[in-house]
Amino acid sequence: MILKKEFIHIFRDRITLLLVLAMPVALVLLFGFTISTDIHNASIAVLDHAKDTQSQNFIQKLSSSNYFQIVSYPSTEAEIDFQFKENNIKLAIIIPQNFESQLEKEHSATIQIIDDVSDLNIASILNNYVRSVTQDFQNEYNQHITSADAFSITTKMEYNSNMESVYMFVPGIITLIMILVTALMSSITLAREKETGTMRMLFITPVNKIHIVIGKVIPYMIISFLSTIVIIIISVFVFKMPLNGSILFLLLLCIIFMLTAASFGMLISTISTTQLDAMMITMMGLFLPTVLLSGFLFPLNSMPMIFQVLANVFPAKWFILAIKDVMIKGSGFFDVWPYLTILFGMAVVFISISLKMLDKRN
Amino acid sequence: MNALSVQKVSKVYNKTVQALRDITFEIREGELFGLVGPDGAGKSTLFNILTTLLLPDSGDIKILDMDLIADYKAVRQVIGYLPGTFSLYPDLSVKENLDFFAVMYKSDIEANMDLIRPIWRQIEPFSKRKAGKLSGGMKQKLALCCALIHRPRILFLDEPTTGVDPVSRKEFWEILQAIRTQGITVLVSTPYMDEATLCDRIALIQNGSILGIDTPEAIMKHFRGSLYTFRSADIFSLLNALKQCPLQCNYYPYGEHCHIAFYEDMEKAMPQFLQFLEEQHQEHGEITAIQPSIEDCFIEIVKMNSHE
Repeated sequence: MILKKEFIHIFRDRITLLLVLAMPVALVLLFGFTISTDIHNASIAVLDHAKDTQSQNFIQKLSSSNYFQIVSYPSTEAEIDFQFKENNIKLAIIIPQNFESQLEKEHSATIQIIDDVSDLNIASILNNYVRSVTQDFQNEYNQHITSADAFSITTKMEYNSNMESVYMFVPGIITLIMILVTALMSSITLAREKETGTMRMLFITPVNKIHIVIGKVIPYMIISFLSTIVIIIISVFVFKMPLNGSILFLLLLCIIFMLTAASFGMLISTISTTQLDAMMITMMGLFLPTVLLSGFLFPLNSMPMIFQVLANVFPAKWFILAIKDVMIKGSGFFDVWPYLTILFGMAVVFISISLKMLDKRN
Repeated sequence: MNALSVQKVSKVYNKTVQALRDITFEIREGELFGLVGPDGAGKSTLFNILTTLLLPDSGDIKILDMDLIADYKAVRQVIGYLPGTFSLYPDLSVKENLDFFAVMYKSDIEANMDLIRPIWRQIEPFSKRKAGKLSGGMKQKLALCCALIHRPRILFLDEPTTGVDPVSRKEFWEILQAIRTQGITVLVSTPYMDEATLCDRIALIQNGSILGIDTPEAIMKHFRGSLYTFRSADIFSLLNALKQCPLQCNYYPYGEHCHIAFYEDMEKAMPQFLQFLEEQHQEHGEITAIQPSIEDCFIEIVKMNSHE
């Protein structure tokens, strides 16, 4: 019943509902497309060691796609470095010697991609574009020959070759949404009942306090869970983010983090008496540290030691580490269980403190 | 059996503010008991304690022979509470609010409809309206329905008529009388003295202490002074002048009038008083002896207590 009532509250408050539902979509699209600005006709350099028919075909393919504009054809790798330093190019492609013969004899060839590490997000998008052009090129080539002779091109990436922090924005947004919807909304809804005095009315009913609180928090967990699924769908289908791990495990991970966020929201609501209090405490105590110290926008290892230590206190860092491993590296439970344990432990601690605080009658 | 027995209950906030001081009183079953006192007297603190929301620092409270502190869960099933501020969900409709509290108390609306029907009938036409959009009097009627939906045996009402128009106030008290005939004990607090006379017994509370408990009639009968009322052209200057009055008296503005209670032999005192007014150049209307109202009694009791 408390659950149903909370949903009525949510659906009656149109603006909040809109915010809660539209925000994740807006955020993920915003981040997704701002990082893809200038992505048409990106300046690239091609170093063609092969200079044969297939390499020419490949270059043709690259320049005919409207993703890239080949601004220079350096002849040495030193020149590529120079071009990067001058900020002339966003990406360089190196075609190996004997490209054509490798294709014909070994049915495979390796194209090397060099990214501009200063802008990881753009680099990751461009990488994907190169891959898709390569894929096209491959498909066309394979059409003309029998399947036995089909070839593949593997792209090899330098600088940032393990893709770390490339797809930071998706785990980051999932984290923010969970914190905003679960922690902020549930702390606000509990504080609102305190502020309007309805909490007193609830507390003098024979219903257990913990049931009241759980009933109020669950709807927000459901909503933020749905938002998370939407974000994952958008990131995988619109932004082609890899999802190498198990989707079920990913969702389990999200549920555990949601629990942590909700327990934090509960804790905040027990110490705040008004909605404004709850909002300020969540913003300053949870949201800001999450944005700044989770490694989502600013790389942690370039921060002063004190902040690196401080970051461990907030759940977001652990969640982002775990979700990144699962999505990109395809890690399973046995790889990320330490993170899960930390998140779960935090939830247990927060919940038990809030229960203690709730139990006091003063 | 007493519906409620409060023995020596004290509460101190933040170690400095003594909200309640050795409060002791008993309410019989089926009684309509009034708690009368100015704002800040400790009424709401007492209600918070009685409704299990707050723990007293010391003292014993029994509700229907159950210990309020130890058996608070059982107590919650038998009490109904109407807080001083509107405490329902403004974004839920009238019916949804009632349904919600019925479920929270695992109570059946139909089974208890006979209890709330007289009140419910008045708000039923608005049952689809959001509770926040109701008028003040309607809000209180809805809140009362919600407080009664589990058929409590004791109903606590914290200033239910504060901020409610006179017509609705009168209606509300009629409803309370009706509720009491259903065998429900009612404890109601009010800052309005005229409402106090509608209770079976009242307790006067001031600064966290109970100054007196009795029926309104008995309290009025025990007025010790001789009470007079008169008009004055300039009541402020009059009150200032009365500070110099040599007679044993207690004076205070009462609407447009000045009330003055003498604790003297009036045959001698009245001529002295008239002379005093003349000396002070105070113009005044006719001075008439009146029967004290409950408010006069309350003022007297407060005055007596502050002297002791």
